[in-house]
Amino acid sequence: MNGRAPQHGTRALHATGRLLSRYWTVLALVAAWGAWVRTQHLNQIVAPTPAAVFGDVLDNPGAYAPDLGWTLLNAAVGVALGMLLGLAGALLVWTSPVLSGLMTPMALIMRSVPVVAMIPVIARVVGFGTAAVLTITTVVSFFPVFVLAGSGLRAAPAATRDVFTVLAASGLTRLRLLLLPGAVPALLVALRLTAPTAVLAAMLAEYLLGTHGLGQLFARSVTFMDPARAWGTALVATVVSVLCFVGARAAERQGTARFT
Amino acid sequence: MNRARTALLTAAGTLLLLAAMEAAGRLGVLGESWPPLSQVVAALGDPVTRDLLGRALAATATAAGTGFAAGALAALAVAVTGVLLPVLKAGLDRLAAVVHAVPLIALGPLLITTVGREGTPSVIAALAAGFAVFVAATSGLGAASEAHRDVFRALGASRRSTLVRLQLPAAVPLLLDGLALAAPAAVLGAVVGDWFGAPRGLGVLLVSSMQNFQTELMWSAALSAAAISLLAYAALAGLRTAAARRFA
Repeated sequence: MNGRAPQHGTRALHATGRLLSRYWTVLALVAAWGAWVRTQHLNQIVAPTPAAVFGDVLDNPGAYAPDLGWTLLNAAVGVALGMLLGLAGALLVWTSPVLSGLMTPMALIMRSVPVVAMIPVIARVVGFGTAAVLTITTVVSFFPVFVLAGSGLRAAPAATRDVFTVLAASGLTRLRLLLLPGAVPALLVALRLTAPTAVLAAMLAEYLLGTHGLGQLFARSVTFMDPARAWGTALVATVVSVLCFVGARAAERQGTARFT
Repeated sequence: MNRARTALLTAAGTLLLLAAMEAAGRLGVLGESWPPLSQVVAALGDPVTRDLLGRALAATATAAGTGFAAGALAALAVAVTGVLLPVLKAGLDRLAAVVHAVPLIALGPLLITTVGREGTPSVIAALAAGFAVFVAATSGLGAASEAHRDVFRALGASRRSTLVRLQLPAAVPLLLDGLALAAPAAVLGAVVGDWFGAPRGLGVLLVSSMQNFQTELMWSAALSAAAISLLAYAALAGLRTAAARRFA
């Protein structure tokens, strides 16, 4: 916003107008929540007011920060592992059409099986604790990356592929110069899809298994009847998940502009 | 010939996957908690287990089904509102994104105080399915070609008749895509909703059998949840293929 001084006022007005036209529903939601608590005369234990929740988050950032950091770390490591394994799997399948046919059921499973619902099974198999949380965030991000990177590798335009064939490029050169750069936009789409999901999956696993992190902070606050903290955790998680999405979308736009 | 080969490879891949699950269980590479598939199926021979699983399956399928229907209708209504009143559109888009970003576990206590333990799974299913349908419906309603739009504009069609005669028919394939993706989301929502103290359902069965080391029961619950969402997805995806031919 490097507007010249005379335009400053109108510009700010415009920006506020734009913000209002986009986020009025969110503001209305918060207002409705406040009105609901007030008109129903709900006990603070049942439903705290927006003011109490926002106040708790702003007054005690230290109470949230360690758990938030742990959840984000779990999600980030899981996404990184999932992307690596997904890309490796896609490359493996790319080398052989037979393998790619054999993997079709995997792609169907990815689209249709609710992985997050399998948290109890995964916990039983790999053990309770951080290992289970990491496995879940990894699995959640693996499938989209695997499928999208696979189609990204096949997306190179036929004409460019012909150029590489004519020049008798080796498979490795083709991969490095043509296919991997071509797959970057697909990988970034996968990142946008998985980043918010990984945060939420990590929280759900922490809640269910009682390991560290936001999910556990939430479970603890509910048990000790601290609704402002519990709803505050939900608020923090929502904001973080939206920010992850916004960040991943920005990365996607940048990357798509750079690589296409 | 090529199609036959793809089908053959897909079938082989499915068999291989099942065989790998069986072998991992037989060899015990993943420990006690990964039983052979045949053992899970054999456990269903016990009438008590079958009864327990059947009741849980019925509860979850009902919650997911009602949630799916309610969520899809609500999402379609919101998307259509956005088309008829463009002023509201940006706000509605943001609302959907934010509601989708609210972590499922955060909704648990809120829903238990408002709709009760019984209703929570279907409401979470509705929210999860609704978002997928909303995204598909918004892009579907914008999918009509510019040329067709120009014709409607030139003939002075009202916003409503453009919606009914152009935008809704053009949205059908994408909408069915969204519905296919919403079906697994609804099953997931129903299972997660069970974790907040629902009286019965696959989610309840999953957690209680996890805590009680009832490995076969846990696996049969997990595989049932996977099976219903796979079937619902496959049915809707098939419908989509049929519709794509009609509406293309």
